[in-house]
Parts: sequence; structure tokens; C-alpha cells
Amino acid sequence: MKKIIKHELNFFLSIPAMLWQVAFLWLPLAFLMISSMYSIAYGFSFTHYLTILDLTHFRVILRSLFLASINSMLCLFFAYPIAYFLAFKVKKSKAILLFLLTLPFWVNFLLHVYSWFFVLERNGILNTVLLKLHIINEPLYLANSLFAVGLVMFHTYLPFMVLPLYTIFEKLNYTLIESSTDLGATSSQTFFRITFPLTLVGARIGVFLVFILSFGEFVIPTLMGGGKMLFVGTLISSYFLLDQNVALGSAFTCLSGFMLGWALLMIFVLFRYIFYRITRASS
Amino acid sequence: MNILKRFWLPTTVLGIYLFLYIPIVIMLIFSFNNNQLGYFWTGFTFEWYQQLFQAQELWFALKNTLIIAVVAVFLSLIFGLMIVYSFGKKLDKFFSIFYLSAMIPEIVIAVGLLSIFSWLMVPLGLNTLIIGHTLLGLGFVVPILHARYGEMDNRLLEASADLGASTRQTFFKVILPFLYPALISAALLVFIISLDDFLIAFFCAGPTSQTLSLYIFALIRSGVSPVINALSMLMLMVSMLLVLLFSYVTKKSSEEIL
Repeated sequence: MKKIIKHELNFFLSIPAMLWQVAFLWLPLAFLMISSMYSIAYGFSFTHYLTILDLTHFRVILRSLFLASINSMLCLFFAYPIAYFLAFKVKKSKAILLFLLTLPFWVNFLLHVYSWFFVLERNGILNTVLLKLHIINEPLYLANSLFAVGLVMFHTYLPFMVLPLYTIFEKLNYTLIESSTDLGATSSQTFFRITFPLTLVGARIGVFLVFILSFGEFVIPTLMGGGKMLFVGTLISSYFLLDQNVALGSAFTCLSGFMLGWALLMIFVLFRYIFYRITRASS
Repeated sequence: MNILKRFWLPTTVLGIYLFLYIPIVIMLIFSFNNNQLGYFWTGFTFEWYQQLFQAQELWFALKNTLIIAVVAVFLSLIFGLMIVYSFGKKLDKFFSIFYLSAMIPEIVIAVGLLSIFSWLMVPLGLNTLIIGHTLLGLGFVVPILHARYGEMDNRLLEASADLGASTRQTFFKVILPFLYPALISAALLVFIISLDDFLIAFFCAGPTSQTLSLYIFALIRSGVSPVINALSMLMLMVSMLLVLLFSYVTKKSSEEIL
């Protein structure tokens, strides 16, 4: 009897956390899905989806997908050298370098975005330096552009790529790389046949993370895009906050969520394919 | 050729670090700039710090932010601890529920919360933000505590029971001290996430529940102002202090346990 009571008690302990997840994560998501399909006039139908299935909305989704892909590729490309360097090339200063990498996380993210105004503005540092060096004659319009949005996203999300990669690199046995070099492989051969396949798991986590974060980004396009271009995040927020149109807003949210899911699936398949090709090529 | 080979990696890494830090450093330097609009250095001043300390709104927002963060940390730690304790090592099966919130863009969570709150006619305010931040927090607390719980040797619990400890005593004298480092790091993480969160606050805050992030956003939208730079400097200082304290505490507690 006592054991049963104990068991029951144990079960009850899990209820608050479960309830929280269900009530404030699953229920809102279900609510979004239902309100994207339901209207008082037509009942359950796809009318909201038909309203938003046009070129404008697709262009917004494609723009966000494009930005997310570019950003995650760039982050991956630049995260590899850092993760490799941190894992194998430094010993004493490793802790401080890792700390420096995570430090931007500890500053409010908005301030992080704000700091780029000083660099990119018409009278900003970059233009001043370039003008002084006579590389350009006219100040460049760098702020409030797609370029600025991409650059700031890269700057913000690079640590999100480095950390999972670094974790995998830490587990990688360095003697594998050494023996590959000893056996006469060039450094590019070593990289593509040893290092890259063995760290692909970390790369995948990083790409997923950066892709999801960049896809739904709201702050950076709002502050850096100058309000000229719409992205998924900005359009969702304008549907919900400016238009107060929950039906169309949730339809668009579900549609972009669906597209994001497809994109993530494609990335997953791509990683599988790369892994398959590489392991086949080396055996 | 050999020199190139040896130096390209450190130079690349150095370049990336510079890229990461230059904007922030420039911003911090300009917090002392004696020029309202300028990107030009005209002189040294503490004026912006003084203005910052006189801004009533800022302190109000900070108070709200701290209330939300502390309550969210408390709730997510308690709930996380309860579920981890109740499921023990069987939690693995249910884990995907807690990981899924990381796979959904935060804006979707924020929008979903907003629509369910307005549907249920819950007034937006501090409570709605606490709900949202606790949700985000659980997504981190549960995996961290679960990982630590998994490392625990079952024999410790058996020994404790054999020596006549009640369940409650075992929990407070064996399990809780063992989880202590994980609890500290989870608490700090949730605290930072709550401080840093913008999206949930943007959608689910009421008119009276201005948070620090919303305050900063409003300032930035109204244009470049050195007051924001001064604020960044202060926040960086506070966070660095927190991080140092955190690394000190975790180091000390892990030394005690080992």
C-alpha cells in the first residue's frame, strides 16, 4: 500500500512540468493550426490558406529560406577553423577563448544588433576608414539593406554553430588526424576523409540551430532592414500585432512552419547524402 | 609555403574573433563620447551614464525584468526538479516533449501564446511573461538536470535507504546535493534567457509590464543615442560579474563533491 502511494506521489510530481508544456506549448500550437483553418462564415476550410497562397507571401518565405541557408553555410564555413583551433591547437588559453566566444551571449541581444549601427551607418566607422584609405570616394549605403541583415545574423549566430562543433571536435581522437598525415595524406585529404566525416554530427546540429533561428528572426530585419523588406518573422508579427488578423496570421505561420519543416528535412537528407558519398569515396 | 601553412589557422581565428568583438568594443568606447549624434570622437564625458541613472523608465523596466526572471527561474527549477525526480532514468522516453520547443522558432511560440491568452481573455502583464519564460526555461532545465541525474550512482540511493534514511532525507541529503552544480548552471541559464528574451515580451507584455528588452528596443527604434551605449557597458559589466561568480560557484561545488 505504501509503495502504491509512493508511486502515485511520484507520478503527481511530474504533473506541473507536463501541464506547463501541454498548456503553453502544445495547446497554443494546436490553437494556431485550428484558427488557420476555421472561420465563422465557412467553418473548417482552407480559405485562409487560399488567401495567402500568392507570390508575395511565397517571396517572403523564400527570402527567409534563402537568408537562413546562406547564413548557416557561412557560419559552418567559419566555425570549422575556430572549433578545430580551440579543440586541438590551444591548451592554456582554451578556457579564455571559449569564454570570449560565449561572451556575446551575455550581452542583451538587442544591444548586440545595435552595435552594428556604429560600423555600418553612412557616417560609421567602416565608411570613415574606407574613405580615409581612399578605397572609396563616396560613402556606401550599408545599413538598412539585405547585406546588413545577413551580416548581423552571421555575427549573432556564429557562436551557435561553433559550440556544438567544438563539442564534437573535443571527442575526436587527434591521433586519427596525426596518423592520416603520417601515412602521407595531404591536409585537404585528411580534412575531407577524416575530420569532416567524423564531425558531421556536430555540423548538423549547428546547421539546424542556426537555420531555425535565422528563419524566424524578427529583431534583426526590423532594426537592420529598414522596414523595406519583409521576412517571415516580420510578416507574422505584422499580421498579429498591426492587423490583429489572427486567422491569416496563423495560416501564414503554419505555412511557413511547414516550409521550414521541409527545408530541415532536405538538410537532413543532404547531410546523409554527403556522409554516404564521403564514406563511400574513402573506402 | 610552410609559414603560410602554419599561420593561416591562427590568423583566421584571430580575424573571426576581431570581427566578433570590434562592433561591441566600438559601441562601448562611444559610450564616453561627448557628442550627442556623432560617430566622431569629440571628447570624454560621463554625461550619458548620468542620464541613464536618471531615467525612471529604465529602473521600472529593470524591476519588472528582474521579477519575471527570478520567478521564472524559481518555477522552472522546481518543476524541472519534480519531473526529473519523479521519472528518474525513465524520462528518456518523454524527452522529445522538452526538446521540441527548441525546434520551433521562438516567434511561433510567442504568437501562439499571444493568441491563446487573448482567446482565454487572460490580461497581458507580468504573469503572461512569467508563463512564457518558464516554458522556455523548462526546455533547458529538464535536459540539464536529467543529464546530471543520469550520472548519479544508484548505489548511493540504496546505501542511503539501507542506512535508514527516509525518502525525504534521501532526497534532501543525497539527491539534492548531487544535483547542486546542475541546478546552479540551469538557474543561471534560465536567468540569462529570461533577461535576454525579446520576442515573448514583445508579444505577450501588457502596457504596464515594460521589460528591459522592450525598453532597449524602443530606445534603438528612436535612433542612435549614447545613452544606449552607456547601458550596454553597464549590462556587460553586470553579466561578466555574473559569469565569474557562476564559474566560481560551479568550480567550488564540483570540488566539494569530488
